[in-house]
Amino acid sequence: MATCSSSSFISPSSFNNDPTQLPKTLQKGLLLPIRRSNIPLLHIHSNSHLRKQFQSKCSNGYPLNAVHFQDEAEAEAEAKETTISITVVGASGDLAKKKIFPALFALFYEDCLPKHFTVFGYARSKLTDEELRNMISRTLTCRIDKRENCSDKMVQFLQRCFYHSGQYGSEENFLELDRKLKEKEAGRLPNRLFYLSIPPNIFVDAVRCASCCASSATGWTRVIVEKPFGRDSESSGELTRCLKQYLTEDQIFRIDHYLGKELVENLSVLRFSNLVFEPLWSRQYIRNVQLIFSEDFGVEGRGGYFDSYGIIRDIMQNHLLQILALFAMETPVSLDAEDIRNEKVKVLRSMRTLQLDDVVVGQYKGHTKGSKTYPSYTDDPTIPNHSLTATFAAAALFIDNARWDGVPFLMKAGKALHNRRAEIRVQFRHVPGNLYKGKFGMDMDEATNELVIRVQPDEAIYLTINNKIPGLGMRLDRSNLNLLYKARYPREIPDAYERLLLDAMAGERRLFIRSDELDAAWALFTPLLKELEEKKIAPELYPYGSRGPVGEHYLAAKYNIRWGDLTSDDS
Amino acid sequence: MALSFPNYSSSSPSNLPSPSSFKHHQRTTPSSILSSQNSFRHRFLKWVSIQSAKNQNLNAVCMQEALPSNETLKKLKDRSLPFAPPEECGNVVGFSTGKEECTVSITVVGASGDLAKKKIFPALFALYYEDCLPKHFTIFGYARSKMTDAELRNMVSKTLTCRIDKRENCSEKMNQFLKRCFYHSGQYDSEEHFVELDQKLKEHEAGRITNRLFYLSIPPNIFIDVVKCAGLSASSSNGWTRVIIEKPFGRDSESSAALTRGLKQYLEEDQIFRIDHYLGKELVENISVLRFSNLLFEPLWSRQYIRNMQFIFSEDFGTEGRGGYFDSYGIIRDIMQNHLLQILALFAMETPVSLDAEDIRNEKVKVLRSMRPLQLENVVIGQYRSHTKNGVTYAGYVDDKMVPKDSLTPTFAAAALFIDNARWDGVPFLMKAGKALHTRRAEIRVQFRHVPGSLYKKSFGKDLDQATNELVIRVQPDEAIYLKINNKVPGLGMRLDRSDLYLHYAARYSKEIPDAYERLLLDAIQGERRLFIRSDELDAAWKLFTPLLKELEEKKITPELYPFGSRGPVRAHYLAEKYNVQWGDLSTEHVHG
Repeated sequence: MATCSSSSFISPSSFNNDPTQLPKTLQKGLLLPIRRSNIPLLHIHSNSHLRKQFQSKCSNGYPLNAVHFQDEAEAEAEAKETTISITVVGASGDLAKKKIFPALFALFYEDCLPKHFTVFGYARSKLTDEELRNMISRTLTCRIDKRENCSDKMVQFLQRCFYHSGQYGSEENFLELDRKLKEKEAGRLPNRLFYLSIPPNIFVDAVRCASCCASSATGWTRVIVEKPFGRDSESSGELTRCLKQYLTEDQIFRIDHYLGKELVENLSVLRFSNLVFEPLWSRQYIRNVQLIFSEDFGVEGRGGYFDSYGIIRDIMQNHLLQILALFAMETPVSLDAEDIRNEKVKVLRSMRTLQLDDVVVGQYKGHTKGSKTYPSYTDDPTIPNHSLTATFAAAALFIDNARWDGVPFLMKAGKALHNRRAEIRVQFRHVPGNLYKGKFGMDMDEATNELVIRVQPDEAIYLTINNKIPGLGMRLDRSNLNLLYKARYPREIPDAYERLLLDAMAGERRLFIRSDELDAAWALFTPLLKELEEKKIAPELYPYGSRGPVGEHYLAAKYNIRWGDLTSDDS
Repeated sequence: MALSFPNYSSSSPSNLPSPSSFKHHQRTTPSSILSSQNSFRHRFLKWVSIQSAKNQNLNAVCMQEALPSNETLKKLKDRSLPFAPPEECGNVVGFSTGKEECTVSITVVGASGDLAKKKIFPALFALYYEDCLPKHFTIFGYARSKMTDAELRNMVSKTLTCRIDKRENCSEKMNQFLKRCFYHSGQYDSEEHFVELDQKLKEHEAGRITNRLFYLSIPPNIFIDVVKCAGLSASSSNGWTRVIIEKPFGRDSESSAALTRGLKQYLEEDQIFRIDHYLGKELVENISVLRFSNLLFEPLWSRQYIRNMQFIFSEDFGTEGRGGYFDSYGIIRDIMQNHLLQILALFAMETPVSLDAEDIRNEKVKVLRSMRPLQLENVVIGQYRSHTKNGVTYAGYVDDKMVPKDSLTPTFAAAALFIDNARWDGVPFLMKAGKALHTRRAEIRVQFRHVPGSLYKKSFGKDLDQATNELVIRVQPDEAIYLKINNKVPGLGMRLDRSDLYLHYAARYSKEIPDAYERLLLDAIQGERRLFIRSDELDAAWKLFTPLLKELEEKKITPELYPFGSRGPVRAHYLAEKYNVQWGDLSTEHVHG
């Protein structure tokens, strides 16, 4: 982990020129110590205009609070057109190739990028523009549902892609990048987006160099960073502190790509635009909530990064906790990013710090099935043989506020399990004084309503209800009121990265993690993580491809819960 | 657990002196048993509820254990079973061991009529086919026409079908069933002929304890005659005697009360089984289950969350030359006052103390009595006229030969009803029923209020009420339940959309759904009164409609004409608008099925 060792101290203001970033609401609300300087009135005025236009095209529907996309009239008024330069730092890495460039292309393909834009790859490897294009072109695909002009579009897109080779810590190299960017920006009002697809230990270096030498002089400059954001409260706090030496809060876009998933986005819509759910959303009706993430593969030779983090940091502390916060937060004042994030922080801060008693950790072991042998976690060449890193964890969390007091929020995340899925399950209480008690066997809680939001694969929402089995008798049965996305929406669902990149360009911060959110999230997990490490708690071993350690059932049983994903009655 | 107990006759406290010879005979119901009946029944009920799926309160059947209990228990536990096992009713009905065996004799009075041929005999056969009838049973057809047993069997056999999902032994079963069918010809008001029937019945009952069920499939003007004759001359001397009657139960409060009075001269309340076959429909049966076994719906079920409810019934054909009966009743009496009002009562009633018939019916009566009598200004009536489409001409209502040319009888009606109680004050309950409309359907729609202070207001256009949640229960055709919810259209934007959380019965349950008559006949045999209309219910129902019906007739209100096959009179929309409602079935949104 890098410390803030950057020798040359540069005034924060050098990187702090985001003239249009603040909507009026924010200016009033003022939750953050954001330094804003020289905002020409003209910009604010034009901003609302532009926002409208942008919305109608690729509308994200939410108030977009800082864009510079332009229409012709505006261009005249301003005498300057805007342009966006997107620099992917770490362009030769896996994430860049598999996710970032394809997402950018998809946005281009859908006409969601502004008229003027440039994509730059930046990395240490020596590559020509041509080589970069070549590399990228292999991972680009067109939407299945509209293939026309696909190769045309690809060629057009690739023509906007360039490469610059340089060290991540070299101001000089970033100066060269800046010159190249300026060339492409051709005198237009430049907005610059840096996507840091690099290991966390060089985040700060790259941010320092980009800030001093390659930030936009007149437009905005934003930086997208990917997890890990530290490994505990201290390291995360340190990282934030360092980033803030060069960036203001609203320039930092911490991505949690789960927040870009379609059904996670839909969570707020479901909650807040359907009256039928509103009265149900509290301890009075909800018995427990389960957040489940499973992968059906292990680290597969790439355990180096994972081993130093483990599943709790990798999945729970960020993805699952974020979903939980969206699920459990109070109704925000509006859909503005700051309003939503304020509510998320409140929920996180109302939560009880995780207790070791409420956590089960596991690690997968080798398993032979038929003729095939699956390796154990520690068999992986990149993993130390005595590693105690958890590849599975289950935890019970509690929110000590009026709405959720006493309702267990169960989380579970694991690798090398029997299936791949991510879902949210809301189990309701049983019907008090149920007239049909006699029909439900001994445990009323086995026949309660359940709302399931399946984030992946096969996006779906379903509500399990009790109804009568058709026929002469009076036997009850659980059926699903079902919405299968594939059946209802034949269109391909965009990748999370597309949404997030678009939002970052539009200055929509709703789906990015604010610093205080991150702090609150770490505060919940850090004591537990330390205890696990200090006490060297051995994970329970579970066979590769199994349903995970048995301990999870005991944890659930402790709170009178059954895991919804492990019952026999649905899929 | 070889529970075995002596027969006790129907649960009515029949120690009261009664005017009739048709009431329960207590010869085999010694007072010692009667007095212990309650606790006995208790144990018995518990046992039944484990034993069988049909564990509503069964209050008067002669029955014995039939299956090893753990097998059934296992089946009950196994919730993933796609449909009920055939034993669902088999072990409930009078299986006999021991000395005193029971038998049920079912007499279909009016055996040559349409309903008998199309519904009653097929339903009886279906019950037999599913092993739901007791071991000993006899079916008698009774009508004026002269027929032999063989002729009746011949007639009956033409309408029998086997369940599509299990065809084995079908013809064998049919033969067995037909052998149990007999015919007796007689006048409906001749005690003598009923005495003959009684003799024949006794022959077949062969000394067993006899329970007798009379199904009156005859015009209402001879109900009383038949009940009198059957009561005096053909009622069971040691078991129960029950009478099923079909609508119409009068045509207003007075005539209905007169009919009830007439019946009660010869029958106790609990011997009268007034059928409303809509109550036997699968999804109507399911209403109570949905309401009371799902926590989800519980907090929503009041004026606080529900904006309006709609009960919609439409047929896509007219009277088709059979308008005689219809013309003297009209759609309001034919559909609204009974079927739709019954469904409304089930929807709106308070939670009953238990699922016992009396508890449920008490709650239904309470709801009906809390309702405001219908006002003329809250009603729209229509009558279909002829319509030519693609060269085909569909006849108007008054073109029907059986209908007077100047008939004002409504073939369509829409109405707004209100329940003046704490739960429903101010919530409009809209009803609509019509013939010769563009579709055939029966459904219940619950429209919820809009989200107060909705964050997504902007995404919904001007009228927030256009994008509210809606629960739809489609009773026919193609049974389904769906809940309309708002969700995000997948994609980069933030567009909202209404989708359905959908349960399609045909997809989920492969089994054929039994006809309403099967359920109701079985219930009548079992003495389960939950789905039958009690006299006070009927009174309350008529009270709501009688003033309106009289006003319509006195003022000779002309129905609005609408073309055959159309969506009905336009004024239905104006009625809805008056209460800020949109008919859910006439919106343009996509509809399943």
